[in-house]
Amino acid sequence: MPGLLVLKIFLGVAIVAIAAMVAMALYGASSPVPQEVVFSKGYAVRRYWLVAVLVGAAAVFAISVPHFPYPSAATTGRHYTIIARQYFFALPAVIPVNTPVVFDVTSADVNHGFGIYNPRGRLIGQVQAMPDYVNHLPFDFHVPGRYTVRCLEYCGIGHAAMQGSFFVR
Amino acid sequence: MSVPMNVRAARAIMWTYLATGLTIFLLMLLLGIAMRAEQAGWITLAPGSFYSMLSLHGIGMIVAMAIAGLGTLWYFVNREIQLDARIAYTAYGFFVAGVVCVIVAVFPGHYGALWTMLYPLPFIGTYWPSWATGVWLIGNALAIAGFVILCAQMLAALLARYGGFRGVLAIDYVFQHRRFSEEGKEPPPPQMFAAAITAIDGLISSALGMLYGIAMIVHWIDPSVPLNPLWAKNLIYQFGHTFANLTIYIAVAGVYVGLAHCTKRKYHTSVPLVVAWWGTLLFVILAYFHHLYMDFVQNEALQYIGEIASYLAAIPVVVVTIFSGVMLVHRSGLRWGLGALFLYAGMIGWVVGGIAAVLDATIPINFDLHNTLWVPGHFHTYLLEGVLLFILGWMFVQLEQRSGTLSSLLTRWLVGIGIFGGGALFVLGFYIAGAAGVPRRYAIEPAPGPQMASIATIGAIIVLAGFLAMVFEALRMARLPATEANA
Repeated sequence: MPGLLVLKIFLGVAIVAIAAMVAMALYGASSPVPQEVVFSKGYAVRRYWLVAVLVGAAAVFAISVPHFPYPSAATTGRHYTIIARQYFFALPAVIPVNTPVVFDVTSADVNHGFGIYNPRGRLIGQVQAMPDYVNHLPFDFHVPGRYTVRCLEYCGIGHAAMQGSFFVR
Repeated sequence: MSVPMNVRAARAIMWTYLATGLTIFLLMLLLGIAMRAEQAGWITLAPGSFYSMLSLHGIGMIVAMAIAGLGTLWYFVNREIQLDARIAYTAYGFFVAGVVCVIVAVFPGHYGALWTMLYPLPFIGTYWPSWATGVWLIGNALAIAGFVILCAQMLAALLARYGGFRGVLAIDYVFQHRRFSEEGKEPPPPQMFAAAITAIDGLISSALGMLYGIAMIVHWIDPSVPLNPLWAKNLIYQFGHTFANLTIYIAVAGVYVGLAHCTKRKYHTSVPLVVAWWGTLLFVILAYFHHLYMDFVQNEALQYIGEIASYLAAIPVVVVTIFSGVMLVHRSGLRWGLGALFLYAGMIGWVVGGIAAVLDATIPINFDLHNTLWVPGHFHTYLLEGVLLFILGWMFVQLEQRSGTLSSLLTRWLVGIGIFGGGALFVLGFYIAGAAGVPRRYAIEPAPGPQMASIATIGAIIVLAGFLAMVFEALRMARLPATEANA
């Protein structure tokens, strides 16, 4: 899901939550009532509120599962080996557009991250590059252009400068 | 009226822990401002200096919050069950020794592999000497030892007082509720659940953290002993995530006790509260799998567990605790001193940081946010506007109770705007940059990182001003004569 959409969802929900909590603190503040009065109503609401939130979380989980980025047995595509090392990536020069590919990502030294940024500079996916292991990242590029790869796992003094690029054509 | 010796000793321990934790916090805040200013381009730091400072800042903030919170939690347990003060001071000694080692590893050692010290990073391509890695590892082990001592002491006391795990976890209260009530029994008060879950999960995670630490020390001594990078990653994130996460469960005890005091109401233990804490007990030690979402070689079942556990560790206890906290305040007629303000604002910060965390714990979203500035956005919200405020809230409840006074309206506004307003501006810089894909842990960030870092730096400076105003106010109130009842 694009980061900016997530930001909008976050800010919307957060503002509603803040407003609700501030309103509950201020409403009727000048006319206090005994605790039992508030709690007898509140406990009844709380039960449903808790169930509603848990059902909402279950729904989010169910919706998210089909969008997990992990490769399956059915994943196919042309494989490209990616080797990360302090502080550069060994990358293919060109990736075909509208063609399923699989990046086979590993590291020659420490842990790195393989973060793909589209030509507009947006992060569109990633996987870790770990020594002794190969992570398989399936991808399908639909927009041609120059894609930038940045390291997304702290790997030492040159971490911020560790980047590379490839073209999608 | 004189205060019993045990109470005075317990207060001394609580204030020692609080003062130490908040002092470390202030020093780490200064480091944080310097790093954000560097990312904004206001000052220049060599990359090595930046990453060494980041290493110290990361571990220092968590340890600061843990020390301050644990002193308070220990005090709450001691109010129910008398604890041996010498053990608390022994743990304190381990914490201080650990902090000293970590500082030495960074200044003058220049250690720069962050708190994560992901194997084999601290040993390959380093810009610091090998001894600094060793001192860092030993410092971590000492701090963990201090944590283990406190957890073991509190858990042993709770088990003895409430009749084993069955009593501590209020199992009969939930499953045989009617008979439990008819027999006139009382479940443990809410803050005891915070102590029990902290102690149980703290001991489990500390064992794993120690295992990782010892394995790393062995490798440091004999580099021919290899470690498995995936195994190492699981262990360090299990310990690190759980320890950081527990800080809020430690500090929330202040809400149960402090907010009840401010509102002159009672925070009851209820069945939903107990069940919610069970959820935290079980799932907080499994939630760390979300740190490995982008390690596709990790067993896929664990990724599913990671998402479920991330939701269930936080949501029930946040919903129940905060809903009850809001009910406690609603139409209570409380006077908004700094204590109540901090505690209530802390609950808001907990909710906001929690929303950001739950979003990031959702795997398809994490695919685009993992290791971006969104991550420090959520945990800075959680720590700065949650854990810290709970700790300050309880501290001011104590000061207000002792002196029988509240801070002036002007002071409340100054501190409030500083810590809440500055804090909001500060974390917003992380969220916006994170949503735009700016990576975390970059000494020099791509756009819009520097622009957002400028906003964040201004926010952090405002937080510093608010924090200093809070410190002066706390010192002023501490000097006021105690009311007769609290002498």
